[in-house]
Amino acid sequence: MIFNQIFEMVNVGIVILDKNLNVYEWNRWMEIHSNISKKKIVGSPLFDHYPFLNNKWFLRSCKSVLAFGNFSFFSQKLHQYCFPFKPINTMNCKFKFMQQNCTLGPLRDEKHQITHLYIMVQDVTEVAAYECTLVELNSRDGLTGVYNRKFFESRLREEFERFKRYQTNYSLIMQDIDFFKGVNDTFGHLAGDHVLKAFASVIISRIRGADIIARYGGEEFCCLLPETPISSAQTLAEHIRKKIEDMVFEYEGLEIKITVSQGIAESDATMTSPDHILKLADEALYEAKRTGRNKIVTHTASRLKETKAAEAAPPKGA
Amino acid sequence: MNTNHESIFSDEEKDILQEIMNIAFGNATADLANIIDIYVVLNVPDIHVIGMGDLPRYLDETIKLKGESSIVEQKFWGDFNGSGLLVFPDRTGKDLICILDQNQQCTLERPLAILEQEMLVEIGNILIGACVGKVADLLDTFVTYSPPQALTQTGQSKKALIESFDIDQSAIIMKTVFEFENKNINGFLLIITNSESIGWLRKALHAFLESYE
Repeated sequence: MIFNQIFEMVNVGIVILDKNLNVYEWNRWMEIHSNISKKKIVGSPLFDHYPFLNNKWFLRSCKSVLAFGNFSFFSQKLHQYCFPFKPINTMNCKFKFMQQNCTLGPLRDEKHQITHLYIMVQDVTEVAAYECTLVELNSRDGLTGVYNRKFFESRLREEFERFKRYQTNYSLIMQDIDFFKGVNDTFGHLAGDHVLKAFASVIISRIRGADIIARYGGEEFCCLLPETPISSAQTLAEHIRKKIEDMVFEYEGLEIKITVSQGIAESDATMTSPDHILKLADEALYEAKRTGRNKIVTHTASRLKETKAAEAAPPKGA
Repeated sequence: MNTNHESIFSDEEKDILQEIMNIAFGNATADLANIIDIYVVLNVPDIHVIGMGDLPRYLDETIKLKGESSIVEQKFWGDFNGSGLLVFPDRTGKDLICILDQNQQCTLERPLAILEQEMLVEIGNILIGACVGKVADLLDTFVTYSPPQALTQTGQSKKALIESFDIDQSAIIMKTVFEFENKNINGFLLIITNSESIGWLRKALHAFLESYE
């Protein structure tokens, strides 16, 4: 009697199936979230109601529970859900379906023979949502909203792996705002922050969805351009250089002008580590700085090549 | 290895355990093939008793644990209590996809790294569950499992795994080499149980023997 009450009251979905995968028990939690009453579902095949569960993965799990007494786990991380239920709290919910951790396990008779299997369904939507938020926060730069260095480095590793596997070329642009210290000193740090944010949005507006823009250091940014040859990266960098050169950054009545130096490198077969391309782009950027700023230097086949030279001057009010 | 630890079991007890493992793994192999179409060859298991403190060295030496290896770990508990470890010495995650199935549209949308991990965990759950389950059957008990975990990313998780064992205890290691038929994928399966289960295990071994006398 008491056990029955717990079975119905507990904040977990419990389904019991017989060996032919007909529903044997269906608790109240399942009734509420599925909109299928116990009366209607008990005795009928589970797959009549949830045909998409009739897949090899689910079947294999059921068989290994019934044959070996295995437990089988359908984690939210890998499967998102087993039963397509509506999330309970639909306000601000980023998931279409309730996120679930499900466990399958054996039920035995008094002779230890497995006669049934249970499925426990746990609603983990809230946790999954928090996790998404945390992942998001952990990958973004607080000031500019672009990706942070840590995320950038992990994507750089992935791109390197992809290159090794499929030879898909990628390019990297390293950008550094010229005389940025001067902006802070002349106009104050709040103005400097404003310039960083505005600079980042200029780049965001120029790159494609698959490209990654990250703040690498103080006033240093990196653009990772998957499946992009160096010539296209150069075109993009030149657009950005021109746009920034022409732009007037306005902050509380101040008008601020800046320029940007950029170093570009491309993946090639001699690269031995993900950092290699970063080193090349960094060298190119250094060369751009050394030879006058507001310009682009590309690093191809271990040769630095300047593509655009223009006069750069310390920042001043326009 | 330390003789103190070796003497936890008599030679006879080790022989019985060995015999139980042979039967259990044979049953597991047959059922895996018949029931879920997984064709795996499990070689004759080895049994070692060592100090938990020697476990890291054992793992290093015996299974050549390196950065590229993938490990799935699953804890089980009950009278018989410990951890199952499935070790693939090289990165084989994506080759495992062909052992399960490739026609699942639900898995194809996911990034390869996640898919590989999913395969590892799934295979780990099935193999560890089948082998541990059959041993438990023969010893007339049953066990409960924690969710399997793939330890693939960094050395960090392997270190944490090793640290999760109590170094003052003894480990009974049941090791087998397995191979998927016609797939050229092989690895090690280790069942590690600690001295807490040893008292129970000894009783169960003798009970098993008596049932044949």
